[in-house]
Amino acid sequence: MAPLSAWHERLVDTALAPIRRTSRRYWALVGLELAVLGWGLYAYTIQLRDGLVVTGMRDRISWGLYIATFVFFIGISHAGTLISAILRVSQARWRTPVTRIAEFITVVALICGASFVIIDLGRPDRVLNVFIYGRWQSPIIWDVLAITTYLTGSIVYLFVPMIPDLALFRDRLAGRTARWRAWLYRTLAIGWNGNAAQRRSLGAAIGILMILIMPIAVSVHTVVSWIFAMTLRVPWNSALFGAFFVAGAIFSGIAILVIVMAILRRAYRLHEYVTEKHFVYLGYLLAAFAAIMIYANISELLVHGYKLEEGAEFHLRQLFLNQFAPLFWFYLIGGLFGPILIVLLPATRNARGIFVAAVLVTVAMWIERYVIVVSGLRVPLMPYEPAEYAPTWVEWSILAGGLALFALLITLFLKVFPIIAVWEVAEDHEATVAAPDLRRPAVPELSPATGGQDL
Amino acid sequence: MNANIRRLVRAAVILLAVGATLAVLAAPVSASHVSVRTAFPSSATVGEIVPLAVDIHTADGAPIAGTTVTYYLHMAFAGVAGEAEIGRTITDAAGVATIRYQPRAVGIHEVRIEYLAPGLATAEEVVGTFDVAGGTQLVRSAGGVDIPGINPGLLMAVLGSVWLILLSVAFRLVGIARAGGDAPG
Repeated sequence: MAPLSAWHERLVDTALAPIRRTSRRYWALVGLELAVLGWGLYAYTIQLRDGLVVTGMRDRISWGLYIATFVFFIGISHAGTLISAILRVSQARWRTPVTRIAEFITVVALICGASFVIIDLGRPDRVLNVFIYGRWQSPIIWDVLAITTYLTGSIVYLFVPMIPDLALFRDRLAGRTARWRAWLYRTLAIGWNGNAAQRRSLGAAIGILMILIMPIAVSVHTVVSWIFAMTLRVPWNSALFGAFFVAGAIFSGIAILVIVMAILRRAYRLHEYVTEKHFVYLGYLLAAFAAIMIYANISELLVHGYKLEEGAEFHLRQLFLNQFAPLFWFYLIGGLFGPILIVLLPATRNARGIFVAAVLVTVAMWIERYVIVVSGLRVPLMPYEPAEYAPTWVEWSILAGGLALFALLITLFLKVFPIIAVWEVAEDHEATVAAPDLRRPAVPELSPATGGQDL
Repeated sequence: MNANIRRLVRAAVILLAVGATLAVLAAPVSASHVSVRTAFPSSATVGEIVPLAVDIHTADGAPIAGTTVTYYLHMAFAGVAGEAEIGRTITDAAGVATIRYQPRAVGIHEVRIEYLAPGLATAEEVVGTFDVAGGTQLVRSAGGVDIPGINPGLLMAVLGSVWLILLSVAFRLVGIARAGGDAPG
């Protein structure tokens, strides 16, 4: 076994730190997340007992906070796809320290997002009707197929590149950790010792997955958009919706990744690996997608406004002047133009500035989902007074519970799995030291020194 | 009460009685001069097109042609119950009127048929019933563009391909696990 450099040893220690040490603040955070989740569960029991009448949804505005949050979560699940797959294919070196958490955000967001669809059903047992009475003609069936495929693919894509790191944990923590944990690492490492055959198989598996996961991810959010676009509602009559939703998904995915990485960087002192550069690069991506979103909005709204079909005028008025104006203007200015400005200005183009931009984008994108869902249903189909929708405390509580579940799953993940892709960071470091100007391959060769066993 | 008032009341009562008798005698004649017979199927299934016929003759057996006949079906939907007109036609030379109806629900169907007999100012009616069974799906879109090959089979083929690729990844993982016994390369 080759001796490890001090840099490698420090990297391994950093990856193991969350597992070796558990601070009071960690447990306090878990307690807070559990409390909020518990409150959300309590609200959900009220909804189960009394039915959807406890929400603000009625016959005319039958989708609200839940469906908006479902779309939002599915959107942020694109973080893993973008960072891990697209940047891997494009051989972006800087991605390695943030890959793992991006992939985990994907899985957790999908789980939370799918939960909100079931919550929106009112009676969760009726989810079986989708399978019993589902029809191929329905976008809801396409959605179920796409999301289950994406969830499976994302779990596999999270797991496969983690194998060498799980082997590392298995070896480093042998005899020094709980039996269940030792068993977990032993099982999930599937006998990894970093030999040539294993490295070939791992490289091939990652190569297949990184290509496969991209069209799946694109299909998922496209199909989510079709649930709206294929419904006969004037504000949703758009062939652009699929691309618009996918761009928005990646946009919000980057934002949530920036936020999570900033928190982890501070909590686990990852400054050596997650550097200012990573935030600035993610900020560039954020700004690029903000520009795409501005373009999509102009294209969408201008076409609607120019043709002004029946209902379009009402819709544009409610967006820009009436009920939804404060939310919509915040989305446009704070969520789209604001981040671009932050990235453009040298004074704010840093980790702190990008973090603020990411928070703005996250809030704005949730608002955008809410406005799309509720304003679309609010346009009257017949000449009657428009319906109103205001979420009740039950809906807000369940939303808070859902966000707490998202945070809790990530918090618990930190205590079990490596938050940094150790072998990828190490390989990237070696490649940089050996040949700073060379681009590394999309699928790392996994040198014995970084292949898990020998680290 | 004096005698005059009593006479006045008695006269009024007699007048009312005579008037009522005349009114009854002058009322529209009943359908006794018309013979009406419905010809409904004894049973049908949902989606099956069934003829609902009515045969209108005079009392002496002559067919009444050219009479307008309207069919009403008793319906209940979304908490609202009432009659819906399901067809209107006129009797032919044989005195027969027929509409073709496609039942959309199971159960006893009560059809009220309204017709205007010759020489009458108001319509008369007759009620017939028939039983409907089965559960055929009626909502079938006839619209759309049928492009050969674009169907659920294609969707399944795409989805199946994706899952096959995921399965190939699973085989790679099996390969990693099986190679675990070898020495590090």
